[in-house]
Amino acid sequence: MNAKPLVQTRSLSKTYVVGDVRVAALADVTIDVGEGRFVAVIGASGSGKSTLLNLLGGLDTPTAGTIEVDGALISSMDREALARYRRHGAGMIFQSFNLVPARTALENVELPLIFAGARRAERRRQAADLLGKVGLAARAGHRPSELSGGEQQRVAVARALANGPRILLADEPTGNLDSRTAREIVGLLAGLNRDSGLTVVMVSHEESLVREFAHDVIRLHDGKVLAGEGAP
Amino acid sequence: MRFGDAAGFALTSLKKRRLRTFLTAAGVTIGIGALVCMISFGKGMQKNVTEAFKSADLFNSIMVMPGGPSEAAGDPDEPGTRRAVPAARTDAVLDDAAVAAIARIPGVVSAYPEINFPALVSLEGEEEFRLVQVVPAAVAASPAVRVKWGRTYTTDNEAGVVVSRSFARRLGAKDPAAVVGKTLRITSVSFDVGKLASLDLSKLFSGGGLPVAQEHYDLPILGVTEATAFGEGGSGLGQNDVFLPPGPARGIKRLPITSVWDVFRMTEGGLGYSAVSVKLGSLRDLEAVKSKVREMGFSTFALADQFEEVTKAFFFMDMILAAVGMIAIVVAALGIVNTMVMSILERFREIGVMKAVGAGDGDIKRIFFFESGAIGLIGGAAGCLLGWATSLLINRIVNIYLARQGVPSVGYFAFPVWIFLGAMGFSLLVSLAAGIYPARRAARVDPVVALRHD
Repeated sequence: MNAKPLVQTRSLSKTYVVGDVRVAALADVTIDVGEGRFVAVIGASGSGKSTLLNLLGGLDTPTAGTIEVDGALISSMDREALARYRRHGAGMIFQSFNLVPARTALENVELPLIFAGARRAERRRQAADLLGKVGLAARAGHRPSELSGGEQQRVAVARALANGPRILLADEPTGNLDSRTAREIVGLLAGLNRDSGLTVVMVSHEESLVREFAHDVIRLHDGKVLAGEGAP
Repeated sequence: MRFGDAAGFALTSLKKRRLRTFLTAAGVTIGIGALVCMISFGKGMQKNVTEAFKSADLFNSIMVMPGGPSEAAGDPDEPGTRRAVPAARTDAVLDDAAVAAIARIPGVVSAYPEINFPALVSLEGEEEFRLVQVVPAAVAASPAVRVKWGRTYTTDNEAGVVVSRSFARRLGAKDPAAVVGKTLRITSVSFDVGKLASLDLSKLFSGGGLPVAQEHYDLPILGVTEATAFGEGGSGLGQNDVFLPPGPARGIKRLPITSVWDVFRMTEGGLGYSAVSVKLGSLRDLEAVKSKVREMGFSTFALADQFEEVTKAFFFMDMILAAVGMIAIVVAALGIVNTMVMSILERFREIGVMKAVGAGDGDIKRIFFFESGAIGLIGGAAGCLLGWATSLLINRIVNIYLARQGVPSVGYFAFPVWIFLGAMGFSLLVSLAAGIYPARRAARVDPVVALRHD
């Protein structure tokens, strides 16, 4: 990993309390993600992949340790600062797409721009451009229920890019897709990484896709990074 | 997030759940409608009473009574408020000379004694026992006596009477205009000196030997007064079914007493009038005239002094009416809370998505506040319409009922613009308050949990 780290975690831990039981989802995770890299996070179910991604995306806060993204210590941010980070700093896509069913593809892409305070005309134009970029210009007026899984994930990618983030976090983006579509989506992410220098961190089960597209691999096991993987 | 976008989010959500929005807003509509109805009724009553007082010149009137300190001299509960006024002399007699002296006080337009006497009044065979009011022509021509059919007497000596419409009705005359010109018989009761000399005590207890004489006086009915919802024939005069000018009244033999108080005054020597009504040209002269009258040894009562108390009473009435209306508003507010909490549960995942793409706690709160505010505004506007329409309907029904009793149509509700603006503002305020808990709860949603939610 020769590039300058965009993301750095140090001794990152996340413990959930379920009833009287404390479950360590992540324990002492220290990783660096270089700027412009395509990093895959792999591991068995329950190994802490999604927890790591939620922490990197500012959706969750760590129990211990630090997360620094582009020089900002997001592990110590308050709720409003985290919201700003999610709005501008990191884009996220999910296995289940998480589009708002009542809104069209264009309106879904507009969402982050609305929370950023963009004017209607400006955000419409930007959202249309982004949909064009993911090859869905013709489907802008369709609601998620009228789109295929692959199309929905493309809308989610366009939405994640809306406010120009430095990093794209993808939590098993191919989990609900057939292998051909899955390849298309990961190919799209790899294209964004290659052409725009966008840093991508992708959680995936698909070893073949990871081998084909990822620059670096972080392997998690029981909430810990396996020796020699992803560490600085 | 822009203001317009938050409003857009709220309206989209409300439109999506039309029936629930309608039902929740209907609760607010009923609450605000009840409030508008209640307050407009309170204001209507206040307006009617105040106007009735004003039109009858009651604010420009002083009632002068013989002797005794007046209540207007100060609040008996608070001795400190007692004003330095000359103490009324109990020996001053409110006779014609005193009335003339009062009439000469600068600022006094007219002063006339309040005279009434009991008599049996009959019209074409129908009869009723009433107090006959002796009222000068000047007063009979003022707004205090509202003659609608025929005319009032023009001089104090004109032979004729004015009767009230309801009195005419009670005596069997359905058309008040037809009563004008008919003859009214007043049968008065007086002491019979001849009978007094041969008083038979054994018959007295059986009622047959009373030393009284009955005299009949026939007078033409010159006019009939208009009945109003707030006073028969003019709210200025209390028992006001038969008005008689002073000239003919002097010729009527009658008992010199009408109440127990008059008996006491007789024993104190020198029976003057029980009260004199004084009209002022302007309210500004009130204090000066009152002071002069007190110097003459009489006590005074001015309604203008009491008006503050009347206003206070109306304020309390408004408060009670508003409190009743508030019950419906509280129920409506609970409806809003319920709807909004349901909305959070239904949109749990959507809230998570919004947070994941950058919505802050403030953005989520704003969206939910806009939703509850919109319900409040819609319900408030509809409530104003409902309250207004209901008030008009009640007013119409009451007037139809009262028209059968001969009472002319009156607006029992008043609708100053501030009632509607206030109701809208209040509705918005209540709905925003009802939105506080749901908005805070929505803002606290954990995006990780929400995104996992099915």
